[in-house]
Amino acid sequence: MKDEHIIAMLDGSPLGAMSEGELAAAGAHAENCSECARALEAARVSSLMLKSRAAEGFEPSPFFQTRVLAALRERQAAAVEFWSLGRLWKSAGVLFSTMAATTAALAALTFIAPQQSSQDVATNNRPYTAEDVILGQSNQSDDQMSYGQVINTLYATDDSTER
Amino acid sequence: MRLARAGDESAFAEIMRRYGPRVFRVASRFFRRREQVEEVAQEVFLKAFTQLESFEGRGSLEGWLAKIAANTCLNILRGSKRRPEMTASDMTEDEATWLDDKLADVATERHRASERAVVAADLTDRVLGTLSPEDRMVLMLIDGEDTPVKDVAELLGWTESNVKVRAFRARRRMREAVERLLARGGKPRDRIESAGER
Repeated sequence: MKDEHIIAMLDGSPLGAMSEGELAAAGAHAENCSECARALEAARVSSLMLKSRAAEGFEPSPFFQTRVLAALRERQAAAVEFWSLGRLWKSAGVLFSTMAATTAALAALTFIAPQQSSQDVATNNRPYTAEDVILGQSNQSDDQMSYGQVINTLYATDDSTER
Repeated sequence: MRLARAGDESAFAEIMRRYGPRVFRVASRFFRRREQVEEVAQEVFLKAFTQLESFEGRGSLEGWLAKIAANTCLNILRGSKRRPEMTASDMTEDEATWLDDKLADVATERHRASERAVVAADLTDRVLGTLSPEDRMVLMLIDGEDTPVKDVAELLGWTESNVKVRAFRARRRMREAVERLLARGGKPRDRIESAGER
């Protein structure tokens, strides 16, 4: 032990837990090893520091229980308030979404539906133009008579009646 | 216990009366001002009251409360600011004097005077403040209060080998911090003496 460094031993267990023999051996080694002597000194001071710090402490004050119970009631009241606020918020949410849905429906009925019907009316009331007639000729199906054919048919009918 | 679970305040008050000192003792290892200790203890009991349902009764109620207290303290310390580096120049004059006296004689009775104890505790707190909350807890329990490793493991929810490794590292860190202070400890004292001569 005398020739072995004691630093690992000092870090391995509390100084207070070491036997007298171990401490004596550590002291003997430290006499000839400056590094271990410093470590031993620091370990002694550390141990003393921790012991003195551990001896410090408080007992609960006489008002401690009252304080905790008051805080507990406060928290419980806050929790209740939070839940009631939550319920209020939920109800407000339902009301708001209902109102929003109603507004959207009304808006749809007011603006979208009348536009569609007025578009239909406008389309139905539009007079035929020359362009429509000419372009319409090319778009007509085979079973329909062309405008010229109608004129020719009419004139042919008139001619035959005159005769 | 059954009544406390049902929300009976007087039953809960009885729990506080019975186990308050233990919770205070745990909190005192981390905090030195009475208000801080009371605040932590209050938080511990409020948590305990809301989590009483989760207490399965496997261990003792005292142990369960101590565990909550230890975790609460660790969480508060983890959330607090970065650990400061401590140097000899940070020491107050009283602290430097105390440290010098320790060099002269580590274990004389005169150093146990209450005034000296306060100075020592101040310095200790600052040295411990440079360690991580976990290291600090382990050292205070094992080296400060001679708590068995098994009990520390149970309290912190760690394995015994983990506690031993932690304690080894924490002890080394603290010893090195004190060694550095002792190496430079003469300087503030010299400064005090030279200031006194003037």
